[in-house]
Order: sequence, then structure tokens, then C-alpha cells
Amino acid sequence: MRLSSFKYLVRQGWHSMVSNRLMTLASIGVLVACLMITGVAVLLSVNVGSYVDYLETFNEIEFFIDDSAPADVVENLKLQLPLAQNVAFCEYISKAAAVEDMRGWLGENGDVMNDYAGEGNEQNPLPASFRISLTDVSDMANTVQRLQSMGAYAVPAQDGTAVTYNAFYRINSPTELSSTLVNLRRIVSYVGWGLVIVLGVVSVVVISNTIRLTVFARRKEINIMKFVGATNAFIRLPFFVEGMTVGAISALLATGIVGGAYYGLEQALLQPDALWLSEFTRCMLPFFEIIGPLAGGFLLFGISIGGIGCASSIRKHLKV
Amino acid sequence: MPTTDMIRFENVKKVYTGIESKSADIVALHNVNLSIQKGEFVFVLGHSGAGKSTFLKLILREEKATEGRVFVNGRDLSKIRQRDIPYLRRGLGVVFQDFRLIPSMTAYENVAFAMRVTNIPERQIKRRVPYVLSLVGLSGKAHSLPQELSGGEQQRIALARALVHSPPIIIADEPTGNIDPELSVEIMELLQAINSLGTTIVVVTHEHDLAARFKKRTILIDHGEVVDDGVSPYGKEAAYL
Repeated sequence: MRLSSFKYLVRQGWHSMVSNRLMTLASIGVLVACLMITGVAVLLSVNVGSYVDYLETFNEIEFFIDDSAPADVVENLKLQLPLAQNVAFCEYISKAAAVEDMRGWLGENGDVMNDYAGEGNEQNPLPASFRISLTDVSDMANTVQRLQSMGAYAVPAQDGTAVTYNAFYRINSPTELSSTLVNLRRIVSYVGWGLVIVLGVVSVVVISNTIRLTVFARRKEINIMKFVGATNAFIRLPFFVEGMTVGAISALLATGIVGGAYYGLEQALLQPDALWLSEFTRCMLPFFEIIGPLAGGFLLFGISIGGIGCASSIRKHLKV
Repeated sequence: MPTTDMIRFENVKKVYTGIESKSADIVALHNVNLSIQKGEFVFVLGHSGAGKSTFLKLILREEKATEGRVFVNGRDLSKIRQRDIPYLRRGLGVVFQDFRLIPSMTAYENVAFAMRVTNIPERQIKRRVPYVLSLVGLSGKAHSLPQELSGGEQQRIALARALVHSPPIIIADEPTGNIDPELSVEIMELLQAINSLGTTIVVVTHEHDLAARFKKRTILIDHGEVVDDGVSPYGKEAAYL
């Protein structure tokens, strides 16, 4: 296509938008509303995701070792557990290290632990343990079961049979918390995508109706174009320009509104009065990190919706 | 197909299938065989519902023949691809009874529009449109809007638009239907002048007086069939109209 023709078609699209300005404004209004709701849903979803990620870092499982477990079994576990499936991090806490930990927690009263300190101290009641964090928290229950089975060892009995024991006498695993977090993330994600799809369809219908009105107003022109030999692509282009421009303007407005609100919220959470929300603030994605993808997403969404809405409304009038 | 055939119908039948299952099929054209040569001036005459519009729609490939073959400008329209139809139409200048001018565009813009939408450079448009407007005697009205012009002048703009691509065939669908009798003659004379330059002209009309006046080849269609084909005036025509 020639540049002069392209310019002509773009001018036609723009002219049509200005001629039907009330309908154009109505479409932009509805599309901005749809984009805003979609944007808020997506931002909420990614921030909840970020918060869940943060909470997951505290998702530590403790495997307490029975004092009677043979040393070679414990040594084996030290080698095998870090290599086990779904284990992101594994730390062995000896009995003496547990005492030191406890001393740290007790703070200025830590002296009470003096009698139990030192390697091989027989009076030390605290068990050795493994602290493990997982790669995939959603598989916590299965992983715990699998790791626990690795602690099993057999001891020959006097009657010649073997008795099975487990090196782990207790396991502290926040299984419920992990499943709650996983469910929360899933729900937020489903709701977010559900909103994106529903509002996407609503937006297509709105744009499609606007373009349909324009097409109807210009049906005579389209008919003439067909009879003088204009190609379908040539006829469609001004309507695409109109649909996509409505989409792009709506995207820019929605970016301004949602981005501005997000920035305002971020600033408000940084105020001293809001320090009680510091847990959330820490996980909130910074404004400068979200504004690019937000604007890009809105533009892509708006322009695509404009194009799809246009394509769906003009087809009938091209059958001449 | 001989090179001089501009339009040829071979055993053409067109049936419109009923929209609802209960409504009967309508046979609009049946067993139509004809050919129109390069440089001919032909009237296609018939009363309302005779099949004239279907005849036109088949030439413009707005409709496809149910049976038989239609050739236009050397192309078999039963084989033409959907995306090639615009290029077929660029070789056909069409004039309608209701002029089909865009009210918001001046005479110049209406004619230029036909060139713009077919991707012709602006430079060429600026050269060609004033020339075509001068051919139809409307150079002085280039900047008038259609509603500021008489019916005859509007039809001349439509004719200028049809001429702008220098098509080898011009098809005029009831070109005098919406204008005064004196202006009708003016339009027909203009078409004759265009024909004298070698352009094939097909005028579809129900006005047998008009056809009789110009003594040109007249194809008479009735109930979807070509019932006569010869130089008007002649007896059969009056019997049908």
C-alpha cells in the first residue's frame, strides 16, 4: 500500500471518530472502566502472589532426631536429605547448636542454658534436627512423608527378626499454612483471569457496537467502495484505525488512572502512620517495576480488543 | 472466448434459494446465452422483476451463476477468486439509478474517491479527476456538493466516477430513472460519446422509449429469459412492456 493511501485511510479513521464523537467517548469510557477493573485485578493478583512468596520463605520444616538414632544413620541423612527431591535448603542443627539457638532466643536469660552447652554434653535435653525449606510448597505433605521415610532404619532383634525404627521422633511442618497460601494464590489467580476474560468480552462487545454504528452510518460509502474495486483490506483499515485508536486512548487513560492510584497507595504505605502495614509494604511491587508492564499490557489489551471488535462488526457489510 | 467478447453468458441460470425451508426457490435467470462485443452499445430491457438486476449482479460478480458460465473482460467469473473480485470491478465502470454519491464529498472528491480507494497515487488523481470532470462537462462544479447539483449533474458525476479508471466496459443501471426526460437524453448522449471512443456500454433500463430512440442493440429479458435480441425498435418489445 502506498504511503499516501495509508495516510488517507488513517485520516478517514480519525475523521470517523471525530464525527461520531459521542459514541467514541462512550466507548472510551466503558473501555477505560473495563481496563481499570482488569488492571486492579491483575495488580492485586501479582501483589498477593508476591506476599505469598514472602510468606513461603518462612515455610520451614523441622525434623527432630531421636537421641537414640545411630550416628551412621544421622550421617547418612546429612548426605541424603539435601539431595532429596523438592528440598531447596537443608541445615543440620546439632544438639549443641540447638542450645546456642535457644540461648539466642532467651536473650538476657540465655545463661540458663550454660549447664547444657558444649558438644557431647549428656545433660543437654534438646534434640538435634534438620531444618528444611522446600522448592514447591504446594507439595509439602508428600515431601514430608517421603523425607520421613528416609529416616527409617532396622535393628536386629534377639529372635532374629528386625525391628524398624525412625530417626525422626517429631516433625514440625506448617502443612496447613502452606495449603492455605497455595489456595489463596490459586483463587486470586483464577479471579484475576476470570475478570480479564469477562471484561475482555464486554470490551469487545462495546467496541464492536461502536464500530457497527460507524459502519452502518458509512454503509453507502462502503457499498460504493466495493463497486469501484476497493479491496476488503482497504475498506477495513479506517475501521481498524478507529477501533485501535479508541483502544489505545483508553489504555493510556487507564494507565494514568490505575498507575496514579498505585503510586498514591505506595506513597501512603510508606508514611510513618502506616508502618503497621510494613509486612505488606515490603512485599508490594514497586511502582516503577509495574508501570511499564501495566502500560504495555493495557495498550496490547486495548488495541487488540479494538481490532477484534472492529473485525467482528464489519464482516457483514463486506459481502457485496 | 474470442478477444472481442467483453461479456458472454453461456447457458446461465440463477436460482435464489428460499430463505426459509417453506419458501420456494426463485429462478431469476434461465438459459441465458448472449455475448456483447468490444465497443458495442447495448440496452438490456425488461420490466420490473424480469431479471435485469440479477443480470447486472452476475456481471459485477455480486452473485454467482447457479449453472452455466459468465465471462467478463476475458475472465470466467465462475472461477474467479474472492480476492480478485475488486480487480475485476476496476475494469467495470458502474452508474446507478440513485447516483450513489457521498453527500459529504464535493464532485471532485466523489470522483477522486474511486481512485483513492484503489490505491492510485495522489499525483495521478490530481491530473485525472479534472480531466474526467471536463469530459462530462462539470469542470465548473468540481467543488459543489451533490445536493447543490441537479439530478442530471449528479448522474454526470457518477458517470465521471465510472470513467475515472478508463474501464473498457461501463454498466449503467437505470441511469435515467431519477432524472427529467430532457436530461435523460443528455446522459444518453454522453454515454454515446463515451462509446464512440471504444468503450463498451451496457444500459439496463425498463424505459423502452429510450431504447427505441437510440436505435441500438436491445436485449429483451422477460421472466428470466432472453426473449429477443436485436436492434430496437421492433415489435416484440412493445408486446412485453
